[in-house]
Amino acid sequence: MFHKTALATSVMLLSAGLAHAEETYRIGITQNNVGVDSYQTTYESAFEEAAEKQGNVDIVVLDAGGDVARQIGQMQDLIQQNVDAIIIWPTNGQAVIPAIRQAYKAGIPVVVTNSKIAEAGMEYIASFSGPDNVQQGASSAEMMCEALDGEGQIVQIAGQPGYTTAMERSQGFEEKLAEACPGVEILETQPADWNREKAQRVMENFLTKYDDIDGVYAGDDNMGVGALNAAKSAGRADEIVFIGATNFAVGYEAIERGEYYGSIYQSPVDDAEAALQTALDVLSGEDVPKMNFFETPKITADNLSEFDKPVF
Amino acid sequence: MASVEQGKQAIMLSKKHKAGLLNFLSAQGILVFFLICMFAFSLFSEQFLSQSNIMTVVRQASIIGIIAVGVTVVIIGGNLDLSVGSMLSFSTVLVVDLHDKIGPAGAIILMFVLTLLIGAVNGFLIGFMRLNSLIVTLAMLSAIQGLVLIYSGGQNVDIANQSDTWFAFFGRGYVLGIAVPVILFAVLAIIVQVVMSYTSYGRRIFAVGGNPAAAVYSGIRKNWCVFSTYLISAFCVACAALVLGSRVMGSQNNVGQGYELLVLAGIILGGTSLLGGAGSIWKTVIGVLILGFIQNGLLLLGYPYYTQWLVTWVIIILAVWLDLANKRKRLFTTHS
Repeated sequence: MFHKTALATSVMLLSAGLAHAEETYRIGITQNNVGVDSYQTTYESAFEEAAEKQGNVDIVVLDAGGDVARQIGQMQDLIQQNVDAIIIWPTNGQAVIPAIRQAYKAGIPVVVTNSKIAEAGMEYIASFSGPDNVQQGASSAEMMCEALDGEGQIVQIAGQPGYTTAMERSQGFEEKLAEACPGVEILETQPADWNREKAQRVMENFLTKYDDIDGVYAGDDNMGVGALNAAKSAGRADEIVFIGATNFAVGYEAIERGEYYGSIYQSPVDDAEAALQTALDVLSGEDVPKMNFFETPKITADNLSEFDKPVF
Repeated sequence: MASVEQGKQAIMLSKKHKAGLLNFLSAQGILVFFLICMFAFSLFSEQFLSQSNIMTVVRQASIIGIIAVGVTVVIIGGNLDLSVGSMLSFSTVLVVDLHDKIGPAGAIILMFVLTLLIGAVNGFLIGFMRLNSLIVTLAMLSAIQGLVLIYSGGQNVDIANQSDTWFAFFGRGYVLGIAVPVILFAVLAIIVQVVMSYTSYGRRIFAVGGNPAAAVYSGIRKNWCVFSTYLISAFCVACAALVLGSRVMGSQNNVGQGYELLVLAGIILGGTSLLGGAGSIWKTVIGVLILGFIQNGLLLLGYPYYTQWLVTWVIIILAVWLDLANKRKRLFTTHS
């Protein structure tokens, strides 16, 4: 009898000890718009995989479908469920701030992933984890300068207006270009909403409007390849340098074929893993910096072989 | 038998009446407006009326145009089709994805079959079940978008070997110096215009849209007529998907998003009444071209492309107002 009780007690103690070392965290994530593009879709599956690998993480995965109101509702749901931490991929850097503040007041740390929120909300978040889009724009400007030998006329095809990533890339590109490469002039900038077909149409109009285009900077490769399509069918692809960002498989292949000068390698897998790791670091009480940028290197024909072809 | 003759006579009469002076004037009004637009833009941009620019615009407008041809038939038949944007996503993703898996011929055939099947579902629900077309096609707009996401798992689809496939012909090819999309648009528009104006089938669609009760009393099988208009609409969407897929050589899931409104804008601008029973394909062609030239003109002037939304819909409201003013012979109503 005594024996049995002792055994039971020790088992209880043991399991309590284990539970302490391997505390299970519940982390909720509300994403921007899964399924709208391959990057976000790959991000979601990479996030789920990373959580599984961690073992001690339970995740609640939500998707706002690009709708701000729905995302605010999802934030409130996660607060109600009293998760240990919330990761948010903001649909809009401004409108989600009140919901983030609610989480902050409820004592739930918030990690913003991929796309920044406005300055006013920074005090309520534990950390930001994502790419440095201003730096990416600047890197693209450096590539453009190098490809054109500091001289030429270019056009810019930007992402969705009002979307932080689009604005930051344009800003980084324009600032760096003006500073490092005053001989390269941006003839015109038009948005194409991250959409290849729209980019193709915009580029066709550019080609009609300008007889002399030396380079195209596109906010991502999806749009860059659209622009390349347009230039190819106009027979002017050879005279134009194409530079993108967020290297897509189609962009990778175009670099391989020598039709596309370069891009920025940004992996949704790195993005997702960095977000989860940041949240875990915050939860385990580490001193986490406010801004966590994961690395997004330049990719051109010279170093193409160092990178795997993107899965999207 | 007598009632059939009477019905037909009534239809002929109402058609004659509708093709009267007012209609002629408002149709001319659109043409005049089109020319004014062209002239105004050409003042500000020297490339606007260049041959290469005009070709570019017509080629870009042909995807919307091809769909608009089909939707015009649905509207003449007294219904609406808001599902065409999602259908275009579905068909484009399908044909691009299947291209590498089963070859271009199989992909095209399967895409046409499945697109027509969706059209048949629309047609069945609206023609035979007599459900409201606005609600059915609005529901289909979302439902098909869901279908696309389930099918693709959210991934972009691409054609791997873009340079050596004859699939490129539909979106990138030229015959006698004219882009294939433009030829497809023109051929479809001419065929459907001829069918609508000169065949008994076309007259039945006008009758069903104009006065359904009279049409049924005169022996027209309304259910089948409505059903068939959705097949025509789906067929046109499939043709547009062929062009779009081949032009881009890849597809995003949201590729046709918002196209249903662009299509409607073109049709309304052309002057086809949303109430059914009136309208014509050639008006829609003009409407779609105006839309294309406005968008292109604004771009050439350096405005972001979405200013076209504002400008286009202001123009549409003006056009509808002037049309109405023309009919009632005064700009404002005097009684409330």
